[in-house]
Amino acid sequence: MLSGIIFAVIVLTLLALCFGLLLGFAAEKFKVDGDPLTDQVEALLPQTQCGQCGYPGCRPYAEAITAGDKINKCPPGGTATMEKLATLVGVEPEPLNQIEESTIKKVAFIREEECIGCTKCIQACPVDAILGAGKLMHTVISDYCTGCDLCVAPCPVDCIDMIPVKQTTKTWNWQLNSIPVTLLEKEKPC
Amino acid sequence: MLSLLEQIDSGTLWQSPGGIHPPQIKSLSNTRPIARLPLAQEYVIPVPQLGEQAILAVNIGDLVKKGTPLTQGQSATYLAVHSPTSGILVAVEERASNHASGLPVLSCIIQADGLDTWSLLDSHQDFQPLSNAEMLTRIQAAGIAGLGGAAFPTHIKLNPVSDIELLIINGIECEPYITSDDRLMREYSHDILTGVSIIQQLIGPKRIIFAVEDNKPDAIKAIKKALKRHPINSAQIRVTAVPTKYPSGGEKQLIQMLTGQEVPSGAIPAQLGMLVQNVGTVFAIKEAVLDGKPLIERVVTITGERATTPGNYWLPIGTPIEHVLSLSQTPKKPPQHIIIGGPMMGYILPQASAPIIKGTNCLLLPSDNEMLVEQQEKPCIRCGECAQVCPALLLPQQLFWHAQAKEYDKAASYNLQDCIECGCCSYVCPSDIPLVEYYRVAKSALREQSKDKQEADLAKQRFDARTQRLEEEKTAREAKQQQAASRRKANVTNKDNDVIAAAMARIKAKKDSSPSTQEITAENTAIAHTELAQKTDKKAQIAAALARAKAKKAQMATALNTDITSPEKAQLNANEGAITHIPVTDSPIVDKKAKIAAAVARAKAKKAQMATAQNTDITSPEKTQLNASEGSIAHIPVIDSPIVDKKAKIAAAVAKAKAKKSQMATALNTDITSPEKPQLNASEGSQRSITQTPVIDSPIVDKKAKVAAAVARAKAKKAQTTAAMQPQDRVTTENQTESSSEQTPVTDSLSIERPVLDKKAKIAAAVAKAKAKKAQAQQENKD
Repeated sequence: MLSGIIFAVIVLTLLALCFGLLLGFAAEKFKVDGDPLTDQVEALLPQTQCGQCGYPGCRPYAEAITAGDKINKCPPGGTATMEKLATLVGVEPEPLNQIEESTIKKVAFIREEECIGCTKCIQACPVDAILGAGKLMHTVISDYCTGCDLCVAPCPVDCIDMIPVKQTTKTWNWQLNSIPVTLLEKEKPC
Repeated sequence: MLSLLEQIDSGTLWQSPGGIHPPQIKSLSNTRPIARLPLAQEYVIPVPQLGEQAILAVNIGDLVKKGTPLTQGQSATYLAVHSPTSGILVAVEERASNHASGLPVLSCIIQADGLDTWSLLDSHQDFQPLSNAEMLTRIQAAGIAGLGGAAFPTHIKLNPVSDIELLIINGIECEPYITSDDRLMREYSHDILTGVSIIQQLIGPKRIIFAVEDNKPDAIKAIKKALKRHPINSAQIRVTAVPTKYPSGGEKQLIQMLTGQEVPSGAIPAQLGMLVQNVGTVFAIKEAVLDGKPLIERVVTITGERATTPGNYWLPIGTPIEHVLSLSQTPKKPPQHIIIGGPMMGYILPQASAPIIKGTNCLLLPSDNEMLVEQQEKPCIRCGECAQVCPALLLPQQLFWHAQAKEYDKAASYNLQDCIECGCCSYVCPSDIPLVEYYRVAKSALREQSKDKQEADLAKQRFDARTQRLEEEKTAREAKQQQAASRRKANVTNKDNDVIAAAMARIKAKKDSSPSTQEITAENTAIAHTELAQKTDKKAQIAAALARAKAKKAQMATALNTDITSPEKAQLNANEGAITHIPVTDSPIVDKKAKIAAAVARAKAKKAQMATAQNTDITSPEKTQLNASEGSIAHIPVIDSPIVDKKAKIAAAVAKAKAKKSQMATALNTDITSPEKPQLNASEGSQRSITQTPVIDSPIVDKKAKVAAAVARAKAKKAQTTAAMQPQDRVTTENQTESSSEQTPVTDSLSIERPVLDKKAKIAAAVAKAKAKKAQAQQENKD
């Protein structure tokens, strides 16, 4: 009877040792570098690199979210992104900490005749979408512009505007029961 | 087992899934031959319709003929647009588009002149001699797009990568109401067959199927009749009547019905070795290749109970729909919809001012009893009718749930992209759910999502690239800084060694020196130190430069001061002073010995000054001035010598003050001008400068110092020559010089405030000098 118990203890101990070794080996062998969650979080962020979350870019904010920061700090992503983040990270959705940006995409536009060529906006642009050189006029490559607003503040002559992207027939979205767009008649000279 | 081609030859037809049989209301419009409408006042041609990057080929205000290309483009998918009539291009502006959105697009506005004259057409009798490339170029230049509705550039479709075995001519026209292809086949069957033979030459298919729905017996008859007379190889071509079913006219559905093969999701028929062309497009190809006519008009069915004269019309591309309606619509009572396309797949046109475009095959003007526009959407009862009629074998219900819940990703996983938007599901839905509308919303949302994703990826890529670049720049900068620091450290150690060497040299010099020749030794030691120190010490160089600059400044000041009396002399004096003392200035006194030597030199200079002052007291006040200015300068170098310790600095300050004082005193004395003996003084001064220059040469070892010495020498020479020359002129120009200097009050005031050395004074002096020169020149001219 007693020998049976001892035998069982020995067997279980051996088994525990075996599995422990196996698990330990597996933990070393299949170790994942970095947090895969960060990549998933980053994929959800809008990549405007605007810094409105308080981090210098979307990647740092993704890292912060993985580390436990709040998920409601991304105004360009809006409520939709926040909700997706909430489900991914597994936290309760919260209202955005800032006013949600309008969904209309905007791009920066430099009034070129007013530009003095100070290159301050070029340094501010997180995606290198501004072209120009010192004392030469600058211009925005609108295809690359994320509409992050970061170039507007540094401009010493206030020659940068954020212009809403014009809707074309190619970017137009079908709307259910949409009210047809009405074109106003052009004023005709008398 | 029969091969596919044999099966086709035997006339086998397959079943396509789904489909509906809506009432065919074709007789409304297919009874009359294709007619023409009167010309419109203006035509609106949107540019570019397909393919980006087009430039305007004509200028605004130019006269254009019918068929003149309006745009030029480079890209492969570019399709030209042509003027549909003769007239004037009055504007290029944004106009309402023929699109479900009605958003304005850039359009060419042509004011018709009513003559409708053709431009010169490059027509061919026969297409056989033309090469494939030539034919494709003609098709592209004609701007032919698929006229079935999708408006895909035909020249791309006719240039497939893979071999085409089967060519299908699509004359199905399964949409109820539309009869444009029907009429075209009836009236232009011969031309269409010519178009078919052109395509045959282009791609060389093994079989050609001319597919016509069996509800168009007249068209089938016409084609068969034309086939007998046409030179085309009738063994290869067969006319197949396809049983009427909607949507058998869809490309994929037609292929399935004719060959039993299914075009995979996301693939094109060319991958199966098949090509489908609409009869309208085939006719346009014939027009382009043989007649050289661009695609500027097409057959449009105007139908519906609201149309006064329903039928088919040749409508120029760009005709405003308003114009068409004004001629063919019963007086309208708003709101009444205009549907572009058929009742199944068409869309409601928001703006009647929009033009007819290449893809417009029908204008449907339904009356209220013909079509219930406003339908009350009721909940889905899960009857499953929609799934039974779907020709693409999708699950419309699932798609609907997900589209309604805005779960577009899930809808996409149910192959939403394969939906052809045929409208069968909406047609059979007992709950009147506008299913296709939901799918269109979902599709556009998905398209937007993928576009956003693309943009986000690009932004991320660019952001990462920028971050990396900044990082690299930072590390490069740091490395540079580190390098500079290490270099500096190395230099410091070198200097220490040199200091030791200098000390050794000094000891040697001390031993050599004898009390009788103290003066010379002091000078020599100073020079020796200069030599040694200058080898490595940059500081000395800087100090020398500073001293030189100061000497120059002093020169300027003296020049200003003596302007009234004798400017030449002043210049000379200044030069002399500067030159005399440069060696002393250059000596970088680091160690005490050098300092002592400097003190000795200073003392000597003072002594000399004293002596000359005494001498000049007897001779003349000008001379005093000369000496004084010389003396004042003599002290400046002492001040400038790079004094390390405080004591020396204090001594220098004292010396400076003294120099200033003596200068002031002499200035007061010499206020009265007396032009006697200027020549003597000048020559005396120049002689001095010459005697003193060798002193400069000896201590200078490095190049910079040499250059400075050379410059100084040159200056001295110049001063000498001017001194020698100017006394003669002086007699004549004296009055002038005086008056000119009086004319410039700035100079005057400056001469009173003696030590003003700022830029303004320099500029003023330069101006005064220039003026004096001018006056002199004038005087000479007069003489």
